[in-house]
Amino acid sequence: MIKDVRLLFAHEVRGSLRNPFWLLFGVVQPVLWLVLFAPLLDGLMPGGSALRDFTPGALVLIALSSGLSVGYGMLARLRAGVLERLAAGPVSRAALVLAPALRDMVVLVGQAALLLGLAALMGMRANPLGVALTLVLVAALGLLSATLSYALALTARDENGLAQLNATLYVPMLLLTGIILPMALAPGWLQAIAAANPLYHAVEAGRALFAGDFRDGSIPLALALTTGLALLTLRWAITSVRRLAA
Amino acid sequence: MSDLIVEATGLEKTYPVRRGEPVHAVRGVDLDVRAGEVFGLLGPNGAGKTTTVRMLATLTAPTAGSARVAGHDLLREPRRVRERIGYVSQAGGVDETVSGRENVVLAARLHGLSAREAARRAAELLEVFALTDVADRPARTLSGGQRRRFALAIGLAHRPELIFLDEPTTGLDPRNRAAFWQEIRGLRDGGTAVLLTTHYLDEADALADRLAIVDHGRVVAAGTPGELKRRVSGDVITLRVPAADAEPASRLLAAQPYVREVGGDGGGLRAYVGDGDSALPALLRAIEEGGLRVEAISLRRATLDDVFLRQTGRSLRDAA
Ligand SMILES: Nc1ncnc2c1ncn2[C@@H]1O[C@H](COP(=O)(O)OP(=O)(O)OP(=O)(O)O)[C@@H](O)[C@H]1O
Ligand SMILES: [Mg+2]
Repeated sequence: MIKDVRLLFAHEVRGSLRNPFWLLFGVVQPVLWLVLFAPLLDGLMPGGSALRDFTPGALVLIALSSGLSVGYGMLARLRAGVLERLAAGPVSRAALVLAPALRDMVVLVGQAALLLGLAALMGMRANPLGVALTLVLVAALGLLSATLSYALALTARDENGLAQLNATLYVPMLLLTGIILPMALAPGWLQAIAAANPLYHAVEAGRALFAGDFRDGSIPLALALTTGLALLTLRWAITSVRRLAA
Repeated sequence: MSDLIVEATGLEKTYPVRRGEPVHAVRGVDLDVRAGEVFGLLGPNGAGKTTTVRMLATLTAPTAGSARVAGHDLLREPRRVRERIGYVSQAGGVDETVSGRENVVLAARLHGLSAREAARRAAELLEVFALTDVADRPARTLSGGQRRRFALAIGLAHRPELIFLDEPTTGLDPRNRAAFWQEIRGLRDGGTAVLLTTHYLDEADALADRLAIVDHGRVVAAGTPGELKRRVSGDVITLRVPAADAEPASRLLAAQPYVREVGGDGGGLRAYVGDGDSALPALLRAIEEGGLRVEAISLRRATLDDVFLRQTGRSLRDAA
């Protein structure tokens, strides 16, 4: 199984390197948020910390938007009969989703680093250790969103269905993270819902880490929650592949 | 050890359908494929060919029945089966994100070949299938025929004892089809058993050492193409008569001692005879004496379509 993951991971990386354009594309949206939206917050929350508070949110945004789109690649592969052909061989079923998900994690961390570089150029100053730990959290978010996308794709087995599921997931996830406006402004019931959103805790943890506030309770909570959920979605995705070739 | 590479008994597959009758895709199929032969599954669209092959390739569990494939029990040891078979689906299964060569190398490596062996094997296969020139292009840019040949090379990467080919020549032009047939014969001569599905009569006839004709999820006839055609009897005389004369003409044909069987209607009455060359003049005389009008008459050798026609009452050309 480890050998299969290694072989398939190398294969995925080769495929991504052949089409590097798409990798860059994934960061365009968060970059736009950073460049066009963060300055607005500056006016709203004077004091110069707006960019530092917004950047973790932008990182979570890439995890969400680029992570949820990976399922389309899996569907293309399903249509072309690639999954079925692989499944008729002795390859580990888990490797069929784990390898691409690992590639997605690496891509996401790379995209996050790019975004952090841009934020630094824009004048953001953050705790270096905090930033490094945030990247670990981003990697876990990447595993979560990619395996969720694979599971949804293999369960729906339909591009339109996947697009609708993604759109439905995207809006509440985005609004209930406090990326755009702080959740402190929200009424109690809305805050209660946000507390059930793992991305909300990830953004909170990222902000605390960037500020160098390592004792903040949101950090272990976000890490545990994200990792735990990622393992569940990974399992779901593996089950869906198995069902494909019962 | 038996020399059978596929031994299937009573295979059935029923697909549940949400809000509807379940689909009985395969309803009890027995198959024996010998090591090193080309075996054809011939049948119209929806006959259950793909479903049968997918069951034998461990891709979907049979609802009932059992099978040994490449010496191992399909249900108890699917992994062992997977190590020994190759499978090329109707869709092909070429990964478009990388080159054709990388596809072949990956397939070989996933079957346990070392990096060097895999590279050597890929080069060898690409040479055989005349793909070396396009081997390093993104697979996305390949033509349909090239893609088909890559699919075959991928399926053969690990030198399987048995390869399943689901409609391998659909979408190929006549020249590529002929070349493909040659490649399949080459595989057999190299000792690889081939189980292929097709709805082309000429393909089954030309390529299969033995075949099974399937319809509505059942095997309606099985044997070598020659045996099957002989069973229908040697030759077919087709007559076109006015609609009003169809009944008496049919009765008249059936009454001739050398006519073994009669089928069809006024648009095309068929008389199955042992030796067409001598039966034709006798038949013409009988028609004249019977006072019947004949608009057209022709004589031809029995084809697999006649076998299908006799078993199902439909022509494979119409059914497909
Ligand atoms: N997953 C499925 N769910 C429901 N019905 C199915 C499923 N797969 C196949 N069928 C049905 O089973 C029957 C047999 O299909 P199958 O694909 O095996 O036919 P085939 O002989 O390969 O036909 P073709 O020549 O068109 O490829 C068809 O009626 C088809 O609609
Ligand atoms: Mg089919």
